[in-house]
Amino acid sequence: MLLKELSDAVESGDRDRSEILAGKLMDEGADPLQTISSLTEVMGGIGERFSRLEIFLPEMMQSGEAMAAAVAVFTPKLKKEEGGSSKGKVVLGTVKGDLHEIGKNIVKLMLEANVFQVKDLGVDVDPLNFIKEAVAMDADVIAASSLMTTTMPHQKEIIEILKDKGMRDKYKVVIGGAPTTQEWADEIGADLYCPDAGSASQKITEILKK
Amino acid sequence: MSNPYRLWEIQQRSNTGPYCDEDDFLPKIFTPKLKGIIKKYEIKYDPERLIPVDDDLADRVWQAGWELFREVGLYNTDTHRIIKVSDEEIKEALYMASDRYWVGAGKDAVLWKHRRVEDTEPPFCLFSPDCTCSEELHYSMCLAFLKEPLLDGFCAPILENSIGLKIRSASPFEINGCTQHIYNLRLAARQVGRPGVFLVAVGTAEHDSGQIAVSNNEWGVRTTDARIIGTLTEFKTADTMLNRVVHCCQYGCYSGNLTGPIYGGWCGGSEGIAVALVAYSLNGLCIYGSIFNQHFPFHLNWGSNTTRELLWPIASAGQAMARNSKLLYTSNGFSNAGPMTEMVFYETACHALVSTVTGWHLWEMASARNKYRNRATPLEARIGMEVGHAAARQGMTRDKANEIALKLLVRYEDRAADAPMGKEYQECYDVATALPTQEHFDMYRRVKDELSDMGIEFPY
Ligand code: B12
Repeated sequence: MLLKELSDAVESGDRDRSEILAGKLMDEGADPLQTISSLTEVMGGIGERFSRLEIFLPEMMQSGEAMAAAVAVFTPKLKKEEGGSSKGKVVLGTVKGDLHEIGKNIVKLMLEANVFQVKDLGVDVDPLNFIKEAVAMDADVIAASSLMTTTMPHQKEIIEILKDKGMRDKYKVVIGGAPTTQEWADEIGADLYCPDAGSASQKITEILKK
Repeated sequence: MSNPYRLWEIQQRSNTGPYCDEDDFLPKIFTPKLKGIIKKYEIKYDPERLIPVDDDLADRVWQAGWELFREVGLYNTDTHRIIKVSDEEIKEALYMASDRYWVGAGKDAVLWKHRRVEDTEPPFCLFSPDCTCSEELHYSMCLAFLKEPLLDGFCAPILENSIGLKIRSASPFEINGCTQHIYNLRLAARQVGRPGVFLVAVGTAEHDSGQIAVSNNEWGVRTTDARIIGTLTEFKTADTMLNRVVHCCQYGCYSGNLTGPIYGGWCGGSEGIAVALVAYSLNGLCIYGSIFNQHFPFHLNWGSNTTRELLWPIASAGQAMARNSKLLYTSNGFSNAGPMTEMVFYETACHALVSTVTGWHLWEMASARNKYRNRATPLEARIGMEVGHAAARQGMTRDKANEIALKLLVRYEDRAADAPMGKEYQECYDVATALPTQEHFDMYRRVKDELSDMGIEFPY
């Protein structure tokens, strides 16, 4: 019953209620992992409605925040029990010289909704900064967005610098953005290309398993 | 006013305006304000009515846009401060704005004037493929566009390479590409006999340094030309944009404010787009010192603006500004389909028709969702401009345009999501002569005849 209410709170993007209900659920001894996985399903549905534009970005964003608030309530307990709930840590940004951020922001939302821990570096991010931040966060994934053919070379640069530093195997490099393609990803040796935000979380989960 | 509005008083607000965390600006300030304003002014999208004929609605959209701009301002992502402009200042800037400008040089100069709703003066026709292109096709594409008879101004495709080297933004390679871009343009303009034609250049400059490097009346972008300066979606700017503002003002060329509010994004739905378009125009006037606003609202998933949820806000905002201001603004078409498909011709015709009767000037046409190299040609733009001229000359009413536009929508609306991407320029144009292939031309002619049967009275 409470879980249903919590799902509704996430769906309607009510952050405060979501936090309170998550607290109550935890007091009742609900299983954190199970709760989070049902919320992830709810969020998946919201993501689908957004992809059909039955709801718009601000609404999805609010739901994402409500979900994040609930997850935060469970996190301390989870950490104790299973050593963390996150599916992986991601540093994400739009590459140097590029100010296009809309796609990148949607990717962030989708990843967070699927319980990835995301550090958003913003736009116009220097290749070296991606790497420094990945080291600082002990990230699993470096995700770089580029919307212009003239900034795509910076995606390559991230990989080159990783190689030069002898760190290529430490991180999965994921790329995206309208002009990028699977061929480009192959050419520069990226671990993954995603044509849209919807597929990103599942695909990243898969490559992290490998 | 061709001088910028209170340049330094406004610029200084990047340093002194209210502080705001960037993460809070859109979700906590912009979207809630916009939602409240839409409610307050009772703005309601009607999917059955592409072109509203309700003047009161148009005026409410204007007031709503004004209030949005005043309340939200423009966020500078470099200084994390909001540039705000008061009611009194907006009024002053609007009072000072001119309703016409001479653009271009010598015999090729054109007087670009504010249009009204159902105006019988044809729209100003700014041709632009809006796409990137291969180095070896750039000159031919410039020629092909500049050959278009209805062209009043031209914005050329963006170079991906220069001297065979890949252009990297903000690097020496970009400056090199910018030089090549403007030389190609100026030579093509001279060769077709329009040396002074109004250019909006150079698109290859993604960084301010590239833009500034080619300001030169002798060989580069002239003071009779214009630059496009983007506003970051939604209602944000950055020093690299403001650098261009100041450069254009001090160099003495024109500028246009480029905006792309997103349907499904922070603006929400159609109502939000309509209001944002007005607000963005005030931004162009008050903060960017632009003589025109170049708007390309688009659908988040499709990257287009030829379906009803985008045509309605275009029609509404156009009327709002036509009735309440003297501003110049171009409606930039984004089609789903690519070149040499019937669909791209229908889409462009529809976009141009709706825009023309609601006070806009035309900027056509970003084909194939504005996404692919070489995938745009002058021919789809031509049909749009011809529709614009015809509709204006025959004094077409909004009602009549609405009726035709609905018929056109039937021909493509259900294919928006999986539209054909068509051909690349060199597949449907002869690269040497810069003319369309027979097959391509015949397709254009067929669609034009069909449009004529629907009631568009083309002079030829
Ligand atoms: C909106 C837009 C703008 C807005 C950007 C607003 C903002 N704050 O982001 C404004 C108006 C500011 C703008 C400015 C400019 N733009 Co612009 N812009 C666009 C446009 C039309 C749409 C981009 C968009 O937001 N799409 C919607 C989102 C949701 O889609 P998306 O970004 O592709 O993201 C999805 C996927 O790709 C994927 N994804 C994206 N990133 C990532 C990353 C990872 C890791 C993963 C897994 C997935 C993923 O998931 C997303 C959701 O599904 C594109 C054309 C196009 N069709 O892409 C041109 C385009 C990108 N712009 C272009 C240009 C040239 C410019 C300007 C230089 C214009 C000028 N002359 O000033 C400036 C650039 C300034 C700069 N230095 O960055 C060109 C680039 C040309 C090139 N060389 O390739 C394009 C391609 C248009 C064109 N065809 O010419 N632009």
